[in-house]
Amino acid sequence: MLFKENIARIVFLSASILSAVATLLILGFMILLSLPVLETGMIWGILTDPWSPDHGRFGILAMIVGTVYISSFSLLISFPISLGCSFFIQIIHPDSPGRFLKLLVQLMTAIPTVIYGFVGVFLLVPIVRKVFSYGSGMSILSASLMLAILISPTMILFFSQSFARVPKRFLDATEALGATSFQKLFYVILPNAWTGVFTGLVLAFGRAMGDTLIALMISGNSVVLPSSILDSARTLTAHIAMIIAADFDSIEFKTIFICGGVLYIMTSCGILLARFSVKKRVR
Amino acid sequence: MFSWCCALLLATGFMFIVGFLVVKGYRGINLELIFADTRLLDAFFLKRQVFGGLFPAIIGTLSLILLSIGFALPLGLASGIFLAEYASPRLKSFFSLMVDILAGIPSIVVGLFGFSITIFLHHFFSSQIFPCLLISALSLAFLILPYIIKTTQVAIESLPLQVRLTAPSLGATKLENIIFVLLPSALSDIVSGIVLAIGRCAEDTAVIMLTGVVATAGVPRSVFSNFEALPFYIYYIASEYSNSSELMKGYGAALILLLISAGLFALAHWIKLKIEQKTRFGY
Amino acid sequence: MENNIKIQIRNLWFYYKTISMLEGINVDFPENTITSITGPSGQGKSSFLMTMNRLWQCIDGASVKGEVKINFGNGFEDINHQKYPLPMLRRKVGMVFQTPNPLPMSIFKNIAFPFKLIGEKNQNKTFEKVEYALKKAFLWQEVKNRLTEDAGVLSGGQQQRLCIARALVLEPQVLLLDEPTSSLDEISAEMIEQLLLKLKKKCTIILVSHYMDQVKRIADTKFILSNRQLTLQEE
Repeated sequence: MLFKENIARIVFLSASILSAVATLLILGFMILLSLPVLETGMIWGILTDPWSPDHGRFGILAMIVGTVYISSFSLLISFPISLGCSFFIQIIHPDSPGRFLKLLVQLMTAIPTVIYGFVGVFLLVPIVRKVFSYGSGMSILSASLMLAILISPTMILFFSQSFARVPKRFLDATEALGATSFQKLFYVILPNAWTGVFTGLVLAFGRAMGDTLIALMISGNSVVLPSSILDSARTLTAHIAMIIAADFDSIEFKTIFICGGVLYIMTSCGILLARFSVKKRVR
Repeated sequence: MFSWCCALLLATGFMFIVGFLVVKGYRGINLELIFADTRLLDAFFLKRQVFGGLFPAIIGTLSLILLSIGFALPLGLASGIFLAEYASPRLKSFFSLMVDILAGIPSIVVGLFGFSITIFLHHFFSSQIFPCLLISALSLAFLILPYIIKTTQVAIESLPLQVRLTAPSLGATKLENIIFVLLPSALSDIVSGIVLAIGRCAEDTAVIMLTGVVATAGVPRSVFSNFEALPFYIYYIASEYSNSSELMKGYGAALILLLISAGLFALAHWIKLKIEQKTRFGY
Repeated sequence: MENNIKIQIRNLWFYYKTISMLEGINVDFPENTITSITGPSGQGKSSFLMTMNRLWQCIDGASVKGEVKINFGNGFEDINHQKYPLPMLRRKVGMVFQTPNPLPMSIFKNIAFPFKLIGEKNQNKTFEKVEYALKKAFLWQEVKNRLTEDAGVLSGGQQQRLCIARALVLEPQVLLLDEPTSSLDEISAEMIEQLLLKLKKKCTIILVSHYMDQVKRIADTKFILSNRQLTLQEE
């Protein structure tokens, strides 16, 4: 009897260890495989140079900037919308319209990103091209718009969760004082739920940054530093996807592991930040 | 007012995406889309390879799902149980940090990891190893592992104290309690988590792009061969289509994938509702 | 001899994390009686019950110091001793909780569950015992034709009697009840009170309750738990 218990314990423990090892192993592999490049002392060049393999320059700065640009812009678009939607779901209409919207949002989380990309290519890009009559329409704007749709469900679900934790008596008290909905949002809900909102933002940023397909399909993938939102740009994720087809031994190829490492570290920092803010609230 | 606008905006965006696909794609959906000119029975019994239809892509996606769930499920369940029932607070916070990081890693980085493992194996074990179905499934398993761990852990932890104490009060050991009471009671949440994980397998493109998916391979003959998959097919069509009939197939494939995702979502939702109803007056 | 001592508790301390819930309890519970424990909520009545079957070990952050000795027929044994086998202890000390907690399985399987745990293979014997326990809990007439149905379909009162039957099926010598009637209507509560009065011929019953009139009706000895101490309540 005791024997069986111990075996089970060991099995469960080793499964957990294996999962943790997998996490670390991914980082390990990224570092290990970018070592050959790092050792040549090119790291500074890689982080700041432009990307032009023909001239022996393999800088990924443009991709880092592109990633940050596109993710931030999509966050900028989707944040107010998400805030409004979660307010709608949780406070204004917690009855059937809110429930319906919530179900819709949950359904949206299940939609494949490649579908967003596909629709982006054939619907959004032509529209952007026509409206602004500039370039091909494959631009930061198009990618950000599509990404905004992709990440809003993450934010909405997270926000409404943290709104739901705001004690109802606070709301009733404000209501009794004759506050408008807007005043409720700004004076009662946001001050009480800001850590949740912040965590949701961080997670959504990570999701936007980690997405490959939308950026790859509709941001145009140019390697020049973008100067306006109608320019095309390439993200780190898309860069990895495009270079993978190259020759195994080239430096070009090895730099994508640096991209992978940078992405890994950026998202992990996001997670740490989110956890930290949650812990602070608990305290 | 403001939140009404947000809600409407989001809903319209969603409707546009789905509506666009339905309007453009519904005419493309017929048996020919899936089986081309091969006879149905021949295709099912693998007598003849289907070329030009979606059949191999659908089979590829299916085998991908089966394999990666097969890898991730036992590992994820065991780790989830360990985290919920056995781990000390310290160990728990370490492991759950690892799980969170793993969940936050962009899928393309997971794909890159799978790819680098392939290179590694290719170099050190056998030059016969190339990107293939098995590698893709393993990488995808890493991608969905954190979801399964988290849902299992949360499902077990959120059981009320009385339910957890029942079996021990009758003389059950820890393992018996887990097997006979905790897992069955948490089953609804775990199952709907698994269904959502299946959805992630079905939709992910970035991982398989780096680990062995190709545009035409036919039905995979073994786990060591290349394969086709629906989401990659959609991506491929969007970037490389040459005529309108190919594009039509792309719309059809996108619509099919959308239906699959929506179906899985509905299934998960249904399981949840059904079992919630059952347990409502149980505890 | 009537009223032998069944449970002997000496200098018992209960901690939740660093907070002490019970401080140095000394008490004896006599055999074949109903002892009631009342007192304000949140003062550790449930925790106190759990010291008698060591169920506190399943609660994160709980710890216990002191002696709990129970006479199962071979003299007093210290159940807090590290080597005391837990499953054995919990078979001899049954427990019923505040809200009915049927397991997610059929009515029959619920009652037969303890048999499954001790590895009883004989189906006929199991069935006999299940029937016996259900009869003892006045539930047999109501469920004999629906034993395979899920236990969740029973009413609250029936579920609670089911849980008592499940606790009784291994014929425990001590029965711990944690506010067993507080989630039930009056009629079901009265049925359970009648049941307890019959059971005390075979069992030593410790009943946590906050219904003073219920305690007056059925308890032989009454204690109050407050300020981390147990005091005898005089008539």
